[in-house]
Amino acid sequence: MKLPRSLLRASRLFSLGVALYSSPLGAAEPAPQPVQLKIGTIMATNQADCLDSQLAKMKQQLEVIKYRCYRLVREDVQKAAWQANSVFEIVGGRSLVIMPAEYRNNRIALKVRLLEGEKPIVDTTVRFPNRGNFLLGGPAHEGGVLILSISAMAQ
Amino acid sequence: MIQDCQEIRQSLGAWLDRELGASDAADVQLHLQSCASCAAEKARLERIDSSLKSMLEKEASQVAFEPFWAGVRQRIAEERPWHDRIIDWARGFLTPPRLAWAVPAVIILLLGIFSLEKFFPGWPPVFGQTNLAAVEHIDGHGFNVALLREAKTKTTVIWLFENQESEDETSAEPASSEQAF
Repeated sequence: MKLPRSLLRASRLFSLGVALYSSPLGAAEPAPQPVQLKIGTIMATNQADCLDSQLAKMKQQLEVIKYRCYRLVREDVQKAAWQANSVFEIVGGRSLVIMPAEYRNNRIALKVRLLEGEKPIVDTTVRFPNRGNFLLGGPAHEGGVLILSISAMAQ
Repeated sequence: MIQDCQEIRQSLGAWLDRELGASDAADVQLHLQSCASCAAEKARLERIDSSLKSMLEKEASQVAFEPFWAGVRQRIAEERPWHDRIIDWARGFLTPPRLAWAVPAVIILLLGIFSLEKFFPGWPPVFGQTNLAAVEHIDGHGFNVALLREAKTKTTVIWLFENQESEDETSAEPASSEQAF
């Protein structure tokens, strides 16, 4: 069967387009560089109205929780390898073990374990946008509660 | 050049219908003037033609053509449904060469749209991806766990509530779980 010339030309161009697309763009998403984890430990109380100036950017998020006073106790930053545990010391003899599990569609999946000494308090897997965060709160501490802001940034 | 009677008789029908070329028509004309047998055949064909014609005219006079032509005029004048017009337009537009270009173009366009996420993360929003975190799994190890997702501030909160027994042992103050949410 003899194909029209325009059909042949279109087929060739289409093949070229698909080949170009599949080489750089369609290839599997490259493994990103180590992910930067940032853990902010925040003490929330109802003793007085206050907001730590370092928490100004999180004001709206913290207002969701409805405590009166928020103070940043400490902030830790670590570069973590994918599929490897990173340990963060948290006040009150607690620790946070985080494993960056997956990066897909600009979203990072973290496996998070909060421990009190050796005892696990919570295990969770959370997927959130790159450079985003989520809050893990509730453990009592010195007359208030601890809120952990867990954020991750893939390079 | 037509010469023998057999050829002439085969050409008679065409000659009577004025379908022969000028040269052949002249040959037939000349032959008929000199051949009585072929002239008789020509006369026979003319009689058949004449009787068929008169019979058709007689029958046609009894046929009411006016409703037929009225129907034709009505179909020409009436507005055609939109889907028929689209089908006609598509038939005219989707010729094989145009299809050959259109199909790859549509595929490349779709691939491009799905690639936008790589260059413009979070766009287009129609794919349902949100800026909220998604908790895929959670185990409170005896703690009660609450999950709060607030779209306005893009906030996701996992909150741990200690069990009643352990609450009695702790010194947690008024910032109780009830107050928290």
